[in-house]
Amino acid sequence: MSLLDEIEASIPMLRRYAHALSRDREDADDLVQDCLERAVARRDRWRGDGPVRAWLFRILLNRFRDQRRGAGARVRLVPASAATEPSRSGGQEDRLALHEVHAAIGRLPADQRAALLLVALEGMSIAEAAGTLQIPEGTLTSRLARARQALRRETGRDGRGPGGRMEVVR
Amino acid sequence: MSDGTPIQDDELLRLRHGTPEDRLALAGLAETDADVRRKLADWEQQDAALRALYDPVAEEPVPARHRAVIAAARSTRPRVPPAYLRLAAAIALLAVGAAGGWFAALRLDAGSPGPELAAEALRAYATYVVEVAHPVEVPASDEAHLVTWLSKRLGHPITPPDLAAQGFHLLGGRVVPDTNGTAALMMYEDDLGRRITLYVAPSADDAETAFRFVQSAGARGFWWLDQGIGCALVGDLPRDTLRAIAVAAYDQLVPA
Repeated sequence: MSLLDEIEASIPMLRRYAHALSRDREDADDLVQDCLERAVARRDRWRGDGPVRAWLFRILLNRFRDQRRGAGARVRLVPASAATEPSRSGGQEDRLALHEVHAAIGRLPADQRAALLLVALEGMSIAEAAGTLQIPEGTLTSRLARARQALRRETGRDGRGPGGRMEVVR
Repeated sequence: MSDGTPIQDDELLRLRHGTPEDRLALAGLAETDADVRRKLADWEQQDAALRALYDPVAEEPVPARHRAVIAAARSTRPRVPPAYLRLAAAIALLAVGAAGGWFAALRLDAGSPGPELAAEALRAYATYVVEVAHPVEVPASDEAHLVTWLSKRLGHPITPPDLAAQGFHLLGGRVVPDTNGTAALMMYEDDLGRRITLYVAPSADDAETAFRFVQSAGARGFWWLDQGIGCALVGDLPRDTLRAIAVAAYDQLVPA
C-alpha cells in the first residue's frame, strides 16, 4: 500500500474521530479536509518512521488546536438536545444513555477528550496514544483516568440527566 | 461506594490499554477484586457507548471534497510516460467516480463506447476466469514477453500492475478481440483462488470518464475511458475491495 492509499483508507477513521472531538459536523469535516490537504502536501517528507495513523492524528489534532485558538471567543450556546449527535439504533433507554455520554464528552477539557477518544474509540494502546500526542505515557494515562471518572460521574448513575439544560459548544 | 483514587485508576488503565501481558495481569486482579471488576465493567460500557455514538460516522460515504484531495494528488505525479499517465489518471478518477459519478456525467457523451467496453470486459472475465487449464495465454513467469507482446498488440505500453500487497498475484495475460480491435486481458488470483481481471482496450474516441461501476450476474467492476484507452477491472468481489485494488494498481503503474 502506498502512503496515499493509506491516507485514503484512513479517511473514515479520521472522520469518526473528528466528529467525536469537535462536536460540530461542519467543523469536523473542515478538520478532516485540512488534515488531508496537509498530509498530502507533506507526504514526500514523510520518512515512514512510525504508523501512518499516528502521523495523521497528529496533523488533525494540531489543526484542531489551531481551529480552537482561531475561534477564540466563538462560543455558541445550543440546547443540549440539538447538539450534533450521530444517528444510531437502539431502544429509548439506550438513546437516553448515549445522549448523556455524548453531552458528557462535550464537557470534557479538550486534552482529556482527545486522549479518551484515541484510546476508547480508536482502540489505541496507551503507548500508541502517548506517541501520537507526543506526551509521556504517565500524562496520557492520568488524562484518560480523569476523563473516565468525569464520564462516570456525569452519566446515569446518580440520576442527573441532561434534561433541557444548555451546554456550551466550542 | 468509593470511586477509588486516580492513582489506582491510572494503574488499572495502564494495564487495560497495555500489552497482552498487561491485560492478562489485569484479568488476574479482577478475579480477586470486586472493585476492579466494577470499574472494568464501567469502562466497557463507556467504550461501547462511544462506539455506538460515533462508529456510524465512519460508515457514511466519504465527502467528495475529501476524495478530491487524494485524486488530485494521484494525478500530479512528475515524469510519467504518456500512456502510463493516461491509465494512471483514469484510475485516479476512480476516487472521484466512486463518490457519485458526477464527473463522468459531465464528460460522457451519449453513444460513447463505454458500456460496450464494460460489456466486453465482463464477457472476457466470464469466459476466461473459469478456465482451469488455460486461463492465460502467456503466464506471469514469462512477464517480459507478456509486456512486450501486449504492448505491441495494443500499441500502448502495458505493464501488469503488481497487486501482491492486495493479496493478488499475476497469473498472466492474453489478447482478446474487442469491438475496436484488440484488447489485453490480465488475470490475477489470490490465495483463496479468487480471480480478477484487468481489461485494457484502445478506445475509438477521446472521451474521458470517471470510474463507473458495472455489474452482471456473476461479476462486477469499474470501467473508465481516458483519451483513447479504455480499462475495466472486473471480479466477483465486493465493490469496495475492487475499488481498493484498482487504486493500489495505480501506484504500481506510475513510477514515483
